[in-house]
Amino acid sequence: MAILRAVHLEKTFAAAAGSTAGVMAIRGVDVEIEPGEFVAITGASGSGKSTLLHLLGGITRPTAGKVILEGVDLAAIGDDDLALVRRRRIGFIFQRYNLLPELSLVENVGLPLVLDGIPEARCDAAARAALETVGMGHRADHRPDALSGGEQQRGAIARALVTAPAIVLADEPTGALDSENSRRVVELLRSIVADHGQTVVLVTHDPGIAAEAGRCIRMADGRIISDTLQPDSPGRPPVARQAPAHRGKSGGKRPGRKR
Amino acid sequence: MSLGVFELRRLLVRQWTRRPGRALATIFSVAVAVGAVVATWVSADASRVGYKSLTSAIEGVPAVDILSRAGGRFEASDVPALAGIPGVRAVVPLFYRPTLLRVGEKRVREIAVGVDAERLVAIGMLELSAGRACTAIDEVVLDENLARSLGKVVDDEILFFARRGVRRMTVVGLAVPTSLRWFGEGAGVVLDIAALEDMSNALGLVDRVRVALTPAADRKGVVEAAGKLLPDTLVAEIPAGRAAMAEDVMHSADLGLDFVTGLTVAMSWFIVGNAMLMNVTERRRSLSLVRLLGASGRQIRRMITMESALLGAVGAAIGVAAGLAAARPIAAGISRSLQAPFTGLVVHPAIIPLSALMGILVAVAAAWWPARQAAAVDPLEGLANAPPPPSPGIPWRFVGAALVLWAFATGMLGLVILEKLPPRAAVPAGIAMLLSFVAMTPVILPPIARACAALVPRRFRIERELALAQILRQPVRTALTTGVLVVAVSNGIGLGHAIRDNVEDIRGWYARLMSADWVMTPAGTMSAAAEGGGAGPRSAEEDVRAIGGVDRIDVIGIAAGRVAGGACVIVARDVPDDAPLPLDPVGADEATVRAALARGEAVAGTVLARRLGLVAGDDLAVEVFGRKTKVRVAALVVDYTSGGASLILRRDAAKRLFGLESADVILVTAKPGEAAALRAPLQAIADGRGMLLRSFTDMKRFVDGIVNGVVGSLWAILGLGFLVGSLGVANTVTMNVLEQRRTLGLLRAVGMTSRQVTGVVVLESVLLGLSGAVIGLIAGLTTALFIQIASQPLLGHPIRSTLRPTVILANMLAAVVVTALAAWIPARRAARIDLLEAVSSE
Ligand SMILES: Nc1ncnc2c1ncn2[C@@H]1O[C@H](COP(=O)(O)OP(=O)(O)OP(=O)(O)O)[C@@H](O)[C@H]1O
Ligand SMILES: [Mg+2]
Repeated sequence: MAILRAVHLEKTFAAAAGSTAGVMAIRGVDVEIEPGEFVAITGASGSGKSTLLHLLGGITRPTAGKVILEGVDLAAIGDDDLALVRRRRIGFIFQRYNLLPELSLVENVGLPLVLDGIPEARCDAAARAALETVGMGHRADHRPDALSGGEQQRGAIARALVTAPAIVLADEPTGALDSENSRRVVELLRSIVADHGQTVVLVTHDPGIAAEAGRCIRMADGRIISDTLQPDSPGRPPVARQAPAHRGKSGGKRPGRKR
Repeated sequence: MSLGVFELRRLLVRQWTRRPGRALATIFSVAVAVGAVVATWVSADASRVGYKSLTSAIEGVPAVDILSRAGGRFEASDVPALAGIPGVRAVVPLFYRPTLLRVGEKRVREIAVGVDAERLVAIGMLELSAGRACTAIDEVVLDENLARSLGKVVDDEILFFARRGVRRMTVVGLAVPTSLRWFGEGAGVVLDIAALEDMSNALGLVDRVRVALTPAADRKGVVEAAGKLLPDTLVAEIPAGRAAMAEDVMHSADLGLDFVTGLTVAMSWFIVGNAMLMNVTERRRSLSLVRLLGASGRQIRRMITMESALLGAVGAAIGVAAGLAAARPIAAGISRSLQAPFTGLVVHPAIIPLSALMGILVAVAAAWWPARQAAAVDPLEGLANAPPPPSPGIPWRFVGAALVLWAFATGMLGLVILEKLPPRAAVPAGIAMLLSFVAMTPVILPPIARACAALVPRRFRIERELALAQILRQPVRTALTTGVLVVAVSNGIGLGHAIRDNVEDIRGWYARLMSADWVMTPAGTMSAAAEGGGAGPRSAEEDVRAIGGVDRIDVIGIAAGRVAGGACVIVARDVPDDAPLPLDPVGADEATVRAALARGEAVAGTVLARRLGLVAGDDLAVEVFGRKTKVRVAALVVDYTSGGASLILRRDAAKRLFGLESADVILVTAKPGEAAALRAPLQAIADGRGMLLRSFTDMKRFVDGIVNGVVGSLWAILGLGFLVGSLGVANTVTMNVLEQRRTLGLLRAVGMTSRQVTGVVVLESVLLGLSGAVIGLIAGLTTALFIQIASQPLLGHPIRSTLRPTVILANMLAAVVVTALAAWIPARRAARIDLLEAVSSE
């Protein structure tokens, strides 16, 4: 059973003032993500990767189609319910880390729990545990601007993990990092998938990183042009993912896989 | 490569059209500030006009007196032409003479006043109810009431005892008492001035020259102008008025109005300054990009100055219109509460150009500093992922400014207390004091804001942290915003206390002076002090004594007197042994005062004492209707009759010393339970004597009406301050939300609900409000002390001041409620933030 499913997803951005036609960023995407998968999305700039990720994460609403997370259609629920889903079931990682400069690292990480009204002590403990997981336990009480980009991004990953979400969505998490830091971040994400069975969807321009994922989706012009399982990759999906039969239903838009 | 002015202008226009909200918010702020100044100024003027019309309703035509400096009569020809002074309506020489009238067997002691009756009737200053003006030497005009009690009508004859023997005179006219009263309290007989002078062997001499003014005239201005024209032997002064009690309230209210207007101006500076600061700071990054592309610092400064002038001008134009529109209902309401007819908005010609100019100048001046900063920005900052500028330690500049302002304020106040400066100087001093508090805000706000934030339940700690961080990140902006609130709150608390203290002082005095069930005064008299002399009231007194059910009668006689330092009012009243002393002695016990009064000594009002430097035990030369007598001043008392410039004696003493016998006010106290039963017989007596009967409750209601009207007008203007303060907060918080768009959007992305986002914004606003209110409380109490100390020379006695929790609470609450409401628009805006824009914009 897919943890996240997109059905005939379309997104058109309203026409900007002065221009006539809107921008159709996503033109009918069907995709299913299974639990424990490590999926990379690649494609040219402007192909709609970020937009798709935002749709999947409930940050923006589709023009048409559905996004079903754990059986709930995100397009059909109210704003506040959507906020709750984002808070509890989705972990977001941004290219620019997006940690709040007002708060210390551990406060940033605990933020989704605090917003959820969980007692302070438990928030703090959970946040520190998450920081340990990403190897940032020793910098927990620093402000974000006292940390390097790679460290901030690891903090952001901890924030995405702290609620034990159904799925982690990362939009070019290494885009602002040098190769050494990029490697460490990807390593971290992969170990989360491998060790905790966490589902991760990652957008990247880097073919090297894409190759490490268990599955690679390529986009062009708002559509998925290829969806490839990469059994040999280090981020190979668990065994359950191997049954292609029930995935075939929505495979109409999915051209044949390589290999 | 360099950008020309043309490209910069285009950039400017582009920035406006791309973000019309910011330009509009800036224009809006200037409009609010200018509008507030216009509205307050116009409303204050309306209040002043209202006060004047209220005073003149009580007092009649306003006047200034010309008197001999040494006392006594003087040559009328010594008085230069005064008609040219602006505001002068008529110049009326007056000659008084105590005299005796005989009608049949009845002998009546009266004051005769000599005037040019024919001219006064012609210009409408002397109103006759029958007959014509007296012109010949054997013609008189009588007070209507006096004539009635003597049983005389027009064409009857009376006997007039003068220095040259008894004269037989003809009554040619009857005067309306209220119009006659203007020529002198106690005067009931009018003669032609030349005739009376001749009879007194004093041709060409006068007792005083009374200058009638137009209702709108500035009395003090006329006194000054006349003073310059007069020879050394003469002085011009404001008569000790009959409406002086009301006038006293007016005086402090007038000071209050000045203060409020001054503060509104200060407030408007903060608002405009803040708007300009935000307008430029918000674009700091794009400006530094322009710098990067080759624009010089000067070009950027010029561009911003141009923009500020333009936005300022548009805002000022809108503000003037809005201010006038807002002033109309306020002015109408003030007029109504002051029982004056509202004849349309009176706008001083200077108000509009001055306010508009102020808006533009302050806009340009306020933009100058951030413009300089923006022009000095390191061009590379535009490329960096600009972190908020690090907050400096203690901003010593502000501390310095605060100290300078504080020194100025205390210095001025000191001079006011030492009477080196007029009480009016307390206004700029008070404003400087308040500004010093605002200047201190960047220093004292962080701990106060933190303390206020600590009150927020831990459940909302994220909201609290974010709100606090945003407030502290922009110390100058926060200071300017809270500055507006500090002004509003301290204004409310300071003036609120001062108003309530004054009102209570007056009410307390009034209750003491007038403890009775019924009050009888000559018809037409509205204040406690009244016309006198007529035989009517005197026989009324006897009639009242004859009624059963009357427990006690207190009679008060009033006359205008003169002492070396100017005018005073002689109050002659009964001081019964079995009733509480109707006086409020300062630094003396009641028994001593009673004993002194019984010996025929007098007590002096504190204002008079202060003016003359009197202390208890001094002898004072007093002149009443030309008769000069020495009186010992036994003690000082708090008194508001004629603003405290009163000399109070027992009636028997007054009769002996000055021949003052009139009964101008009759206070009737009923036996227990009989108060209501007295109405009918008292009314019958009053009707028969042309007197007015009022219950004490009515009387009190009347005084309360005046006081409430004045107080209400001040509150209305104070309310305007809070309104403006709330708009300032709304603007700042909106700007904050714009700046925090990314943070808030991000929070929404990680799962903050729109309600929680609203919470952050409302909390931010309320924290601003609360911090402003706390600083305002401190500043306000200081201001209250200030106003009080400043009005001491005016009143001559300290006003008992109490800390009023209700006034304080009401103001604090108003600040918090107003700021919470102000958060409404920005909070809605924040809740609608586009998540996508927040997470994807770099
Ligand atoms: N808020 C928006 N308003 C209008 N058009 C948008 C918006 N966001 C994205 N687009 C358009 O939608 C299309 C897809 O954009 P998207 O950001 O998803 O691309 P991307 O694949 O993430 O590109 P990149 O690799 O550069 O990040 C682009 O043509 C873009 O211009
Ligand atoms: Mg993208």
